[in-house]
Amino acid sequence: MSRKKETYVYGSLKERFQLEWKIYALAFGFILIADWIGQIRIPVGKGMFILFPIFYAIILGVACGPQVLKIVNSKQVKAASKLVVVGICPFIAKLGITAGANINTILESGPVLLLHGFGNLLGPLLAVPVAILLGMKREAIGACHSINREYHMALINNIYGPDSAEARGSLSIYIVGGMVGTIYFGLMASLVGMTGWFHPQALGLASGVGAGIMMASASASLRAIYPAWSETISAMASVGETIAGITGMYITMLIAIPMCDKYYRLIEPVLGRFALKKNDHPEKSA
Amino acid sequence: MRYIEWFVLFLLAACGTGLANLIGYGVSFADSIPGLAVLIVISMAAVLLTKILPLKLPIVAYCSILGLAAASPISPVKDFVIQAASNINFTAPFTMVGAFAGLAISDQLKTFVSQGWKLLIVGIFVMTGTFLGSCLWDQMLLSLAGVI
Repeated sequence: MSRKKETYVYGSLKERFQLEWKIYALAFGFILIADWIGQIRIPVGKGMFILFPIFYAIILGVACGPQVLKIVNSKQVKAASKLVVVGICPFIAKLGITAGANINTILESGPVLLLHGFGNLLGPLLAVPVAILLGMKREAIGACHSINREYHMALINNIYGPDSAEARGSLSIYIVGGMVGTIYFGLMASLVGMTGWFHPQALGLASGVGAGIMMASASASLRAIYPAWSETISAMASVGETIAGITGMYITMLIAIPMCDKYYRLIEPVLGRFALKKNDHPEKSA
Repeated sequence: MRYIEWFVLFLLAACGTGLANLIGYGVSFADSIPGLAVLIVISMAAVLLTKILPLKLPIVAYCSILGLAAASPISPVKDFVIQAASNINFTAPFTMVGAFAGLAISDQLKTFVSQGWKLLIVGIFVMTGTFLGSCLWDQMLLSLAGVI
């Protein structure tokens, strides 16, 4: 049973099942529990926060891991990360169908859609100063250049090297994004949607930030807030995500990372003086 | 992964989606099956394209483009595709993704906790800035294009 597992390339389908059956069984168990609980709507002011079954499924998943209940071991954890793509493909296909059915909405928006993706650059602009004030050095560049999904991390590793401070920063935010990203995007989209500052069509498009699971969470919240626009929101989210997926690599490589690097070197000498020290005591001397 | 592995795993994901659709939204398996079949066919076609095309796009990009093509006015099967997919609730395929994603990050929990609040704050700023920036930018683009 254990001969070929180390490489995680299975000799046969049967071998895959022998290692992964527990993951499948747990996933079905989580679906039973999570979808039985269903959506929970928490009124907040004029609007609401919506808790989706996926949130409970994530929490159940983390709880079953090797660091809490130890129901699955780390080999199975590695296997599960490959399965995320398998789960997300049909979902994206479904969104693509919604987009195709609403193709007129998309064509009306025209070629400006291709420029979607540059909006992401506000992330580093906001986050780099915060990271510096909190005491980060060049880690800030990796941490803040993007939402740090797998392909962003690969780029940072490629440019700065896997042992670099930048790569450490990138990995940290990758972990933060994995732990809280889906839930946070759902809640944040509810909040931003409620303000009424943005058109639902723009909100839908903006959900496509280049991470499928975050886009799904954000657009699910937006659909619940603007039920009359739900088809448009899904269609725009699908297009936004696809465009971000294709252009995101280049925007990150050619703009976000160099920009972040320059920006860091520009503001670090100034802001760095006010930064929290690494081992600050609670009273904070800065 | 081999084609057969992809196929069986998609089948499994489809069962999970069908289950979520039943429990969460009361749609029977029989009503879900055509839609699930459509999603599996599109996903398999996307796998095929990633394996044979030299262009290196993420597999989800192919899923999205193929889904769009299958439901667009040029598609001869668009009515069936749209009708079948409409029985699959938007968030139904999603719970299983969460289950896998949760399990996949479960061995990072200690690292996450130990890196502490500073990195959490930085992460929140990155995510907020990214989404808010997209909202502002896309609102501007669509306004300039006269769409909204």
